Amino acid sequence: MSTPLLRVRGLTKHFPVKGGVLRRTVAQVKAVDGVSFDIERGKTLGLVGESGCGKSTLGRAILRLHEPTEGEVFLEETDVTAASGSELKRLRRNMQIIFQDPFASLSPRRTVFETLREPLDVHRIGTPAERRKKVEELLEVVGLRRAVLHRYPHEFSGGQRQRVGIARALALNPKFIVADEAVSALDVSVQSQVLNLIDDLQSEFGISFLFISHDLAVVQHISHQVGVMYLGKLVETASAGDLYADPKHPYTQALMSAIPVPDPKAGSERIVLSGDVPSPMNPPSGCPFHTRCPAAMPHCSTIEPRMQNLGSEAQPHWVSCHLYGDTPQADNSAD
Amino acid sequence: MALLEVDNLQVEFATDRGIARAIDGVSFEVNEGETLGIVGESGCGKSVTSLSIMGLIPRPPGRIAGGEIRFAGENLTRLPEKAYRKLRGSDISMIFQEPMTALNPVFTIGNQISDVLRRHKGLSRKQARARGIEMLAEVGIPAPEKRIDEYPHQLSGGMRQRVMIAMALSCDPKLLIADEPTTALDVTIQAQVLELIKKLAADHGTAVILITHDLGVVAETCDRAAVMYCGKIIEQGPVDALFEYPRHPYTAGLLASVPRIRPDRLPRLPTIPGIVPDLLDLPRGCRFRDRCGQALERCGQFDPELNADNDAATVAACFNPNPVVTA
Ligand SMILES: Nc1ncnc2c1ncn2[C@@H]1O[C@H](COP(=O)(O)OP(=O)(O)OP(=O)(O)O)[C@@H](O)[C@H]1O
Ligand SMILES: Nc1ncnc2c1ncn2[C@@H]1O[C@H](COP(=O)(O)OP(=O)(O)OP(=O)(O)O)[C@@H](O)[C@H]1O
Ligand code: SF4
Ligand code: SF4
Ligand SMILES: [Mg+2]
Ligand SMILES: [Mg+2]
Repeated sequence: MSTPLLRVRGLTKHFPVKGGVLRRTVAQVKAVDGVSFDIERGKTLGLVGESGCGKSTLGRAILRLHEPTEGEVFLEETDVTAASGSELKRLRRNMQIIFQDPFASLSPRRTVFETLREPLDVHRIGTPAERRKKVEELLEVVGLRRAVLHRYPHEFSGGQRQRVGIARALALNPKFIVADEAVSALDVSVQSQVLNLIDDLQSEFGISFLFISHDLAVVQHISHQVGVMYLGKLVETASAGDLYADPKHPYTQALMSAIPVPDPKAGSERIVLSGDVPSPMNPPSGCPFHTRCPAAMPHCSTIEPRMQNLGSEAQPHWVSCHLYGDTPQADNSAD
Repeated sequence: MALLEVDNLQVEFATDRGIARAIDGVSFEVNEGETLGIVGESGCGKSVTSLSIMGLIPRPPGRIAGGEIRFAGENLTRLPEKAYRKLRGSDISMIFQEPMTALNPVFTIGNQISDVLRRHKGLSRKQARARGIEMLAEVGIPAPEKRIDEYPHQLSGGMRQRVMIAMALSCDPKLLIADEPTTALDVTIQAQVLELIKKLAADHGTAVILITHDLGVVAETCDRAAVMYCGKIIEQGPVDALFEYPRHPYTAGLLASVPRIRPDRLPRLPTIPGIVPDLLDLPRGCRFRDRCGQALERCGQFDPELNADNDAATVAACFNPNPVVTA
């Protein structure tokens, strides 16, 4: 088997919380806590989970927009976490990000042309004439007319702005793109246009995506693999088919049942979770989900479950929950 | 007579580029104890419709240019501001999308609920506090006697939205308008809040207008729904019929493009081609024509009106609607 395009191992990002008059670090927000996964070439890993569970932080830590506290990231053979200087610059060409808010992520004072030419300038790609040609090609790829070249972001609709954001991410022919809630701010009819575009680009250029979204239906559509995050940790990962057909983790099951479906006859058997998401500053002991889990058992509050593969070697289905596998022993819980 | 009757409402805004008619002849009714969903994409006029009912259209640049809004038979468009203020927060209440902007950050939750209760219900300070705690308990806030003394920033998003609901319901309104009440919330919290609105409306017989761009939320919460496009209602009817047999091509397109969890992955998502036209540069005839796959010649000449077809359960504004399907 070929090596995956991206390998993430034990990635951790803690943010210090400062307090008191001396602004000393009084606590740590464990935004991302020991996350591991692979993404194959030309494939998409979808990442879901509630607000604040660490999805964006994970995406940024991979790109080193946040310095990881611990763990490793490999893009093909290159250790991203150890790279610096010219090597990091080269890596950055290959790893791009598309943000949620296309308005906030584009400079209001730059025309589309200036925005799209900038990465080419920074990386000194081609002559000015070639850069111009490349920008025009990019517009065509994302389905914008050449007439928009000299317009400013405020003159565009949300869907058009998001297309500009995607064109910018594509400018340097990246191998890997983090799409962080890239379609969440868009209306459904525009959202489906942009999702189809992302799909086309993937088939055409073989790009791998980490696709972050809180919308499970969007994630199912776009992803090959899906990971579910809760309080900084992955709690379940599987192929999109397996995860949606047979969610194992009680949190995944609750998430799935909470999605409103546009069919009045659907008759939802909803698992309404009680309580709010706990603070990542002070995550619960044992299983992080035990404070809201409808299936929690006494030992769930003391022993942290580990990832176990309930699928096969070829088609893994990773879950961290005490409902599966052997009953844990208190003595093997500490690492 | 329905509790609320909106009749040929027209709302205009003055902009740099000219007069934008944001609402152009909207009519609908809401009965006591009924939940009406208003759906449609960003900018179609959902919020302007609800602000018109609340008498909160900023003037200038906005104005109600025509039509009537009758609440319990009384035309609100002529109501003096003082009487309107009395109506808001007693007979008609509203929940806004972002609870943080509607709650005052410098006062405790208790101060804000008591204020409403004392103003509209004439309760004493002590009575208002006791009733406030009851309300917080009713919307499922744990330890309400403690939470009542907290400030909005000390609560999570879901709890703030519950506080808003508690405030909106504290005066037993006859009509509750909820404008995107769950858009800022996570799905699991959204599920809690929608259950709560449904239950409270059923218990108190409140009429509810639920505004959202999420068709799934409408399907699960509403009895009837109206679909808006570019300042007009283009189709309305009972939710079951509307979602199962949409007649207007826009309703059908919208429903088809909602991503939903399905057993097999679709190779491509259905889309509606093109984009919403500019309010200041509307096409002649039907506003959906440029994006419509079943346009006829006359769609470019005349503006279709909402039209009841005897056999159809919904009314649609379309010259060439999808055929009526009878189950
Ligand atoms: N720069 C920062 N400094 C301190 N804490 C941070 C910082 N960035 C994020 N956090 C915290 O880390 C946690 C994870 O945040 P993150 O933005 O990754 O969540 P998310 O899953 O992307 O949420 P959302 O769905 O709301 O975008 C949160 O508790 C957040 O408050
Ligand atoms: N104060 C205002 N001045 C000028 N135009 C306005 C004003 N308020 C609303 N509009 C215009 O009226 C139209 C309808 O806006 P409205 O806020 O009702 O949309 P909406 O359906 O609620 O959209 P969203 O889903 O984004 O909330 C838009 O074109 C908007 O630009
Ligand atoms: S380990 Fe226990 S608390 Fe955690 S998800 Fe499984 S059953 Fe629930
Ligand atoms: S009136 Fe004509 S253009 Fe408009 S939606 Fe109906 S068929 Fe399409
Ligand atoms: Mg995020
Ligand atoms: Mg609105």
